[in-house]
This record gives sequence, structure tokens and C-alpha cells, in this order.
Amino acid sequence: MKTPASIPLRQTIPVAAVLISLMALIVAGASGGGQKPTGEQVYRKQCASCHGAKGEGAKGYPKPLAGTLSEGQLAVFIAKSMPPGPRKCSTADSRLVAGFIHEAFYSPLAQERKRPARVELSRLTVRQYRNALADLVGSFRAVGHQDDRRGLRGEYFKANQFRPADRVVDRIDPQLRFEFGAAAAVPGQPDPYQFSIRWIGSVIAPDTGEYEFTIKTDHEVRLWVNDLNRRLIDATVKSGKDNEYRASLYLVGGRAYPLRVEFGKGVTGVNNLEVLKKKPALPATVVLEWKPPGALVSSGIPTRCLAPSFFAEGYSVSAPFPPDDRSIGYERGTTISKAWEEATTEGAIETTGYIAAHLAELSGVKDADPDREKSLRVFCRKFAERAFRRPLTAEMEQSFVGSHFDGSKDLDTSVKRSLLLVLKSPRFLYREAGAASRDAYDVASKLSFGLWDTLPDQALLRAAAAGELQTSEQISQQAARMASDPRAWTKLREFFLQWLKVDAHPELPKDAKRFPGFDASVAEDLRTSLELFLERTVWSDKSDYRELLLSDSVFVNGKLAPMYGASLPADSGFQPVAINPGERAGVLTHPYIMSTFAYQSGSSPIHRGVLLARSVMGRTLRPPKEAIVPLSAELRPDLTTRQRVALQTKSEACMSCHDLINPLGFSLEKFDAIGRFQTSENGKPVVATGSYVTTSGKSVKFTGAKDLAEFVAGSQEAHSAFVERLFHHLVKQPVRAYGPKTLADLTRYFQANEFSIRKLMVEIMARTASGV
Amino acid sequence: MSLIHTNTRREFLRGLGLGAAVLPFVTGLPSLASPGAPRRKQRLVIMFSPDGVVPPTFWPTEEGETFTFKESLSPLEPFKKQTLVLHGVCDRVRGDGDSHMRGIGCLLTGAELFPGNVQGGSDTPAGWSSGISIDQEVKNFLQKDPATRTRFGSLEFGVMVPDRADTWTRMSYVGPNKPIAPIDNPYQMFNKLYGRAKDQQNLKSVLDDLKEDLAKVRSSVAPADRRILDEHTSLVRQMEADLKANVTKDPGHAFPEIEPGVREDNDNMPKISKLQMDMMVSSFAADFTRVATLQYTNSVGQPRMKWLGINEGQHDLSHEPDTNKDAQDKLTRINKWYCGELAYLAKRLAETPEPGGVGSLLDNTLIVWTNELGKGNSHTLDNIPFVMVGGGLDFKMGRSLKFQRVPHNRLLLSMAHGFGHRIERFGNADFCGQGPLPLTG
Repeated sequence: MKTPASIPLRQTIPVAAVLISLMALIVAGASGGGQKPTGEQVYRKQCASCHGAKGEGAKGYPKPLAGTLSEGQLAVFIAKSMPPGPRKCSTADSRLVAGFIHEAFYSPLAQERKRPARVELSRLTVRQYRNALADLVGSFRAVGHQDDRRGLRGEYFKANQFRPADRVVDRIDPQLRFEFGAAAAVPGQPDPYQFSIRWIGSVIAPDTGEYEFTIKTDHEVRLWVNDLNRRLIDATVKSGKDNEYRASLYLVGGRAYPLRVEFGKGVTGVNNLEVLKKKPALPATVVLEWKPPGALVSSGIPTRCLAPSFFAEGYSVSAPFPPDDRSIGYERGTTISKAWEEATTEGAIETTGYIAAHLAELSGVKDADPDREKSLRVFCRKFAERAFRRPLTAEMEQSFVGSHFDGSKDLDTSVKRSLLLVLKSPRFLYREAGAASRDAYDVASKLSFGLWDTLPDQALLRAAAAGELQTSEQISQQAARMASDPRAWTKLREFFLQWLKVDAHPELPKDAKRFPGFDASVAEDLRTSLELFLERTVWSDKSDYRELLLSDSVFVNGKLAPMYGASLPADSGFQPVAINPGERAGVLTHPYIMSTFAYQSGSSPIHRGVLLARSVMGRTLRPPKEAIVPLSAELRPDLTTRQRVALQTKSEACMSCHDLINPLGFSLEKFDAIGRFQTSENGKPVVATGSYVTTSGKSVKFTGAKDLAEFVAGSQEAHSAFVERLFHHLVKQPVRAYGPKTLADLTRYFQANEFSIRKLMVEIMARTASGV
Repeated sequence: MSLIHTNTRREFLRGLGLGAAVLPFVTGLPSLASPGAPRRKQRLVIMFSPDGVVPPTFWPTEEGETFTFKESLSPLEPFKKQTLVLHGVCDRVRGDGDSHMRGIGCLLTGAELFPGNVQGGSDTPAGWSSGISIDQEVKNFLQKDPATRTRFGSLEFGVMVPDRADTWTRMSYVGPNKPIAPIDNPYQMFNKLYGRAKDQQNLKSVLDDLKEDLAKVRSSVAPADRRILDEHTSLVRQMEADLKANVTKDPGHAFPEIEPGVREDNDNMPKISKLQMDMMVSSFAADFTRVATLQYTNSVGQPRMKWLGINEGQHDLSHEPDTNKDAQDKLTRINKWYCGELAYLAKRLAETPEPGGVGSLLDNTLIVWTNELGKGNSHTLDNIPFVMVGGGLDFKMGRSLKFQRVPHNRLLLSMAHGFGHRIERFGNADFCGQGPLPLTG
């Protein structure tokens, strides 16, 4: 991907800020007609002779031009003092020059960009750190295998206890939301006064973070999540009007956690059913909901996040971390801070505390074992090896394990100290540390962090030990195996949410008059719809990038269907429905994306255009110089949204960016603020023509979303942008550091392989891991 | 510092426009009791044992300062001058739930139980208490003021509390429907109190190794990558300095050694009891908290005190009629054992000097020993045992007092007022008439 030199600033700005500030307006030289010179031209003419063509310095002033003044400060400085002598640069020219040099080479960011790309020593990103700890502890437990079955196993009992003899039904329930009324729960269960139900299985956490679980019931209930020895919710006692119970838990995304719910109708304590039966039976309901991290409202746990099989308890470190640097578009770990260092200490203490509390289980060493010391040493060595992703040398074994046991009487403290040191060691905390020279373990580690954001699994370490990670073919085979593991989907899913700029889980407040019924729960359903589409498209065998752009179906359920003109029974679950045939274009027109990149009552061609320019076409845009409040529809009821945007951004200064942004966004104008198809706005026909000028200068025109999507699906620069982004998301190092041709090679590979995203993923990792 | 400069306390009170008539009330108000001077620390411990007492072997016959301890209370002999025995204080709260449930659920809350699904041996089913308990009320009061705020605010100790959350196993409430589970595992309590200090000690012990490791890794990476590791090393050095500074600042760093491996088992009850009390005393000495509860088993508790030669469960024994001499004798010994634990706690507090203050911890702590019932075989909530030891709240100690069926809500009010928290009602307001019991003498 080539970026025009004049707009190289790569910066992500929060959506909220974008909402008010997207209208770019360049103040400098905004007035006046004729051919105005650019900042670069002014610089070449007036400054380069002393400062060098690229600010590197020349005879007149040998020092390179680099510093930390803001663009405005720089302009003031230039106007006051440049060039030396009595005749100073004009205010307008100073601004132009300042704008140019600030971005081309003066600012710290520009300096950073100029540095030759190399693979930098990086610490684990926060996501990688949390995953690594979860999997490091998990590696000492039996591995569970997720099968395709979804839902929870429900066992129904005809008494207020769980005796096998009382079990009347054993089935799989897709969700946990029941209203039994005053009747018995299931046929075969004669007593409406007392019955009990036990649901068991696992809950699969899509994202990492705090999950709030809610149980709504008017009877007795207990909930366990993950730790089956500790009740997360204990409402054995039903008291007063309380009928809603909440508790929170930190979970790591992409992993399954055991879950159990026990529900009971009747009384607890001394059983006096005879007394109870003198009155009519009470109604009974039980509902299990959750609020995943970032979610706006609590909602039923979707069936795809429930499994009837039991998994081992998982560990998740909950110590808070400062967020990773994402200033250049992907999370990376090339900087550290005091807050990060302290967080790793908290994380190490939390983890050793957890392991100490589960030591017998994790190490398999009983408290009374006569060989306890010897066995615990072995456990600590294995722990260090897995944390460091390679075997220990004798010297390392002594310093990380042996020295903490020698002469110690308190073995539990020895274990804690050994583990603390391991978890604070740079060999654990940095991705590329600890390998003096590249070897098979290094390859294993690169593959696993690249594809899964975590430590290598046992199979990968075994392959490394057996010398089976030598040839490109062997490495590709491993990468292919790993790319079909659910952890790879977890990482890909994060990629798409970031690519579409919805990873921050936006709130979608909408005008209640224009869009009655559009509330937070609809917003959550739309998000689910998008996620289902991504999963079905990307996590399929074809995994075709073009399908993402061209598909004309949308996942809707019974609630969403009427809002989007589909007809489904009210209680329908999510299913793909072709709505507005010939008009929809995959993610580009997905109602969730359209709603996110819109205002409360109207669309926002600018937000949509920026998303298309930046994410889809890979163009860089600078943030606007000034925050501009968009012209409100009430002030100009005579205009369509398109006309208002055109009016407000028509100045030449705005146009330097908006001539790229607006025509892209306009092509989606047939989708309103909640992503419904519209052909007219305030009685005026909606015009959805758009255009785009490629980086090679070719002008392309299209009408409507489908036309746009077809252009994108065949666009070389869109392909290249997608490949580069995915590369950065996986490898977390600049693609340029892997050679000048790597991006072009990978893009060709993508095009030659039916645009398979999963194949591309494997290819990227196989290439980088083997150092090709 | 006070803005009003006065020479004597009386002058200060006059300055506030308060005459001698209000003096007795003001003494209970710490912020007024000693202007300018640092306030003394005040502490409250509420100790619970179950199933009622044997009245003839429990209550002193006499009233006033001259009285004799009966068998059940005989372990308190060494602390007689610091003891206040209250007879005639009754739990008058009614409503849903059987006597055992209301007995524990209303004991510290003075409020009715909510209707619910927990069915006792009689009466209607009930749920949790509808009010906050007095220990939490006092905790909230102390935590509001930076001068009395402590790390934990309150600690809830238990001894052999069954692992189930129901009306019979909970006496402390953060608020309506919000019971607190006591921690009855001494090691869990140790971790809560000293886990942090122990972790920091472990961390400190590996820092030299860590610095060495950083240096080794540094030498193995490309020169351009050393910057980040140098930065990392200096952060580790900073942490080392912070840890050193912390250890000297933190009074809790001297943590007690506790006997390892005591399992939660009926026969270990005496050991667990001592471990919990020892940790309570050290947490007071470190000023981790000023409020603590200590709950032995639960309402309807069924410990089998084999160490006293008693094999029957306590609750079963408590149902035996008065005519069963053997049972009454055993129940007396059981209550005497609890009283002995109370005396142990008093002794430990008396032996520990008040850090930075005058006298001993006991001089600044009030222990209140109580029960969910007055008498086991009648399930009465009249004459609930309230035996208090220590000088924490300026009550006039060394007495046996007999009240005429006063509601226990008034005693709960006295506890709050003893801390200067002058609330007018606590729990059911109908039982708060005439305000706190006059205990200051």
C-alpha cells in the first residue's frame, strides 16, 4: 500500500471524538483563488537550501529538523524567525510549511515513521499476557475438547433435591429462560409445588473481561461459573421481594468455563409440604443472563456460547493493566511503563496465589507425599519451561527452581518464590527474549503468538523438541493445524471487530420517534447478527474475503425481522435472511455498521466514508484541524443529508480530505441511521452515487453499495490494505521489517488463493515464523 | 486542629453552649470528649454462641457492683471489674421465621426477617433480615471519618460455621437481604490479613535473581533492543526501593506465625477458636479494624464437645427438659467453655499494650458475648444473654444489671452511642422508645 506523502498521519481517533470533529477544515490559506503553492513547494523553494530536502540539514544549518513543537507553535516560530534576515516568511506560507515539515519529518511521530523498519523486542501485549497465563495454568489440567453441541444439559427432578431416582427428564436446553407458570416444569413431573432442575455444561466467553451474570427467579437458585467449589450466586434463601441476583467474574476470551445452575421450587430447611399445599401453587420462572464486557444491557446467554459438555476450571488473571499502544493501528508491546511493570507484579502475585491454593491439584503432588519436595521441583521446572516456551539449561534450572528449594523447609514458599521469579522474568514477559539464536522453539513461539496470542501448546512444543519444525513444509503444516483451532478464530474475530471499528462496543442511541423500538437490546442483537455473519463467513472452509463484502443476507431473529422488513415468527432465533435483494453488501451495509456510523436520526456519510477510506481502502487521513458541529437537519430541512454534507465541506481546505471521504460515504446513503434500506429522505429521492480515485490516479465511479462492494472486492489496493492489516494484527511487527516484497507477495498469494482469509493467515504465519 | 482554644474541657463545653446537664451524654461522643488530644481508639467485638443458656447456672443472683459469678460465668473471675452482665434484655422482634431464625437474624439487626422460603421447625417460612446489623452500622460510622478509618473496617471471624448460607448461619448484615459470611477458616483469614505482606516478602527475596536474569537476557538481544530492557531494569530497582520503604511504614508487616494444617473439624474447634482470637488480637494491634464479630457455629449449632467429655450435640442437649440434670449439667459446662474462650480473648487483649495509647487493648475494647435464645428448651427470646467485658465504650463495668424486659434494640442503640454515633432508632423503631440503655453509670 502506498500512502500519499502529504497525508501520512496514521492515527486512530475514538469514535466519540470523531462524531463531533470529522469535518476537516484547514485554516491556512483557505481563502483566495488561483493556484496556491503547497507546503512542500514553499519548503523546497524557501527552506531546503539550508535545511536539506528532507530536513536532514545542509550547509546553512547542519542539524536535522526534529522536535516536539506543535504544528501551530512551529508556524508561529517560522513566521517570527525564518528565514534569517529582515524579510520573514508570510503567515500563510509559515502555516503551510509548518504543516508540511511537521508531518514529513519534524514531529516525533514522523521521526518514528522514518526509522527503518525492524523486528523490535516486544513484550507480550495485555491480551497475550492474559491468554498466556490462562493457558500456562491450564496446561496442568486435563484438556477438554469443544464439540459442536450447544446449549446446556438440563436434568429435571420431581423433588426438591437431586436424587437420581427422582430424575424425570434429561435433555439439552438451548437457553436458560423458562416461565413455568404455576404448573410442573415438564411432563412426567407431577408436582407443581416442588421440583428442581440442574443445568450443567460450559459457558464460552467470546471476549476477555468482566462478565456479569444475572439470575432472575422467584425461587431457590444457585449458580457456579468456573470454580465449581464456590457459588458465584447463592440464593438458596429466597427473601422478601428479591428476585434478581447478580455477580461478576473475570474471564479470558475464547475459552470455555464450567457452569452449573441449580434451581428448586418448594421450601428449604424443614420440609412442610403439607402446609404449602393448602395454598395454590406459586408461579415459577428462572432466567440466566449475562452482560459480557462492553455490553450495553444484560441479555440471555446465546446458545452458541453454551455447551453441554463440562470443561476443566480455567484461570484468568484479573489484575488491571494499562492499555497497549495502538497508535499505529495495532496493539503492540514495544514500550513499557511503571504502571505496566506494577501490573505484571500484581499479575504474578495473583497467579502464584491461585496456584498455591490449587497446588495439589495442579502439580498432582499430595500434601503427604514423601517425595513432595522432589515432585514440586519437577512441577516448578515444567512451569518455567512452559512459561519460557523452551527447555531450561542446567544453570537456569538452578536459578529459577533449585535455589528456591535448597535448604528451605517451607516448600509452599519455595514454590511461590520460584513461580514469582518465572512470571517476572523477561523470558516470560517478552515475546522474542530468551532465544540466543533462532531455533525450533522460537518458531513454535512465533506461531502460537501469531495465530493464538498465547503460548505454544504441547503439540507444538513436542514438534519443536522432535526437530519437526525445521522445513517450511513442517512449519506450514503446524500453522494449518493451529489455524483451525477455536483460538485462531478468537484472534480473527478480534481482528474484524477492530477492522470495522466496533471493538469498543459502541452505544447506539437512536431517535425514539423515528425509530420506535430501537433500544439497547436491539443494538445488542444487531451486534450478535454481525458476529454471526463474520463467524459464518470467515470461519468457514471458503473463508472468502469477497463474500464479506458481497453477501446479500443478514442474520435476523424474530425481534429484528419486522424492523428490517423480513418476516419471521416472533420467537425465531437468528438466521440468515436475504433482505433488500440486490442492495445489501455484506459488512459494508450491515445494520450494525450502518447504525454505528450514523447519527441518532440521520446517516453519516462522513463517518461511513472514513471507515471505508481507512479500514477498507487502507488510506490514511489526518484528523480535522477543528471540531465542526454538523449542520443540523432542522436548520436546513430543504436539504438531504448528502446535500448538507456537501455544503458544509465544500471549502477547498475541507476538500483535501473530504473529496476522498464523501464520495465513498455517499454510496451508502440508501441505508438510514439504523441500517434500513431507504429510497427517499424527507420526500426527496436518495442519491447513492459515489466515486473513488485510486492511489495510481484512476477515477472510479459507482452507484450504490453493491457497486461499491464489487469495486472493493476487485481492488488491488483494498486487497493490499487488508493483507497488511491482518499481518500487523497477527505478527505485531511492521510488515516492512520482513523485506520490501513481503506485502506484495502475500497480496498475490491472497489473490491466487480465492481470497481465503484462513489460508492467508496460515501463509503469513508460516512465512514469518520460519524467517522467510 | 481545633479552632476553639480552651483550657479545660468544661470551658470547651461552655464555649459550645452546653451546660453541665448534658455532660453525661457528651462523654459518649468521642469528638467532644477530648478536644485537641488524639481520640482514643475504640473497638467492638461481638461474640456469638448458640442454643441458649442454663439460667440458674448463668445469671448472677445479685444486682449491682457486688455480685457472684455462677458456674457458667466463672472463667470471667479475673476480669470481674471489667465485666457487665445484663439480665432482662429481650429480643422483642416478631414476624416470620422460627425462634432460632429470628434469634440470630434479629439479634444484631433489631429488624424483622423478610418472608421467604426457609422453613424452620415451627412458624412461617422466612428469608434474610430486613436490616443492617449493629457491627456494620458502627463500621460504616467509623469508616466515614478518616480519623477512625481502618484497612478493613470490620472483620467477621467464625468457628466451625457450616458451609451453607441460610438464616441460621448468618448474623451480620451489610443491609437488608445482604448477609455477610463469616470466615471460619483461619488460613483464609490469615491470607486476608497478611497475605499481602507475605507476598511482598517473597517478591523481595527474588529481586536479586530477577535483576541478574534481566542482565543475562539483555546481553543476548540486539543492541537496539537493550533500551527497553534497561528501562525495565530501572523499574525493577524502583520497585525494590518502594518495597523497602513500605516495610518500614506498614505496621502490619510483623505477621504472626500460625500453626499450619489445622483442619476444619469438630474436634479442632478449641484450636481454631484460639487461632481466630489470636489473629483478631494482632489485627487490633495493627489497627486493621476496630470492629470484629466471632461466631461459634450457628443458630441451632450442634458442636460435640468431646474435649469436655460430652458426646452429644449441643442443640440436641438444649432441647432436654430442665428435669434432665445430666443434660443441664452438660449445657452448663458447654457454656462455661464458651465463657472460657471469652476470658482467653479478654486475657490476650489485656496482655497487649495499646499501641501509641494508654493501657491495654482491653481497656479500649468492648466484647459483647451473646446468643440467639435465652433458654434452649423453651426457645424463648426473653433474657437473651448479653455479657460484656472491657473498657471500649465507657460503660460502667464491674456490675450485674437487671432490666425489666427491655427490648434489645435499646442495647444496640447503646453500642452505637458508645461510639458517638447518636442515632435515635435502630431496627424496628417501635422498640427504640426511651433510647439507649443507661449503661455509662
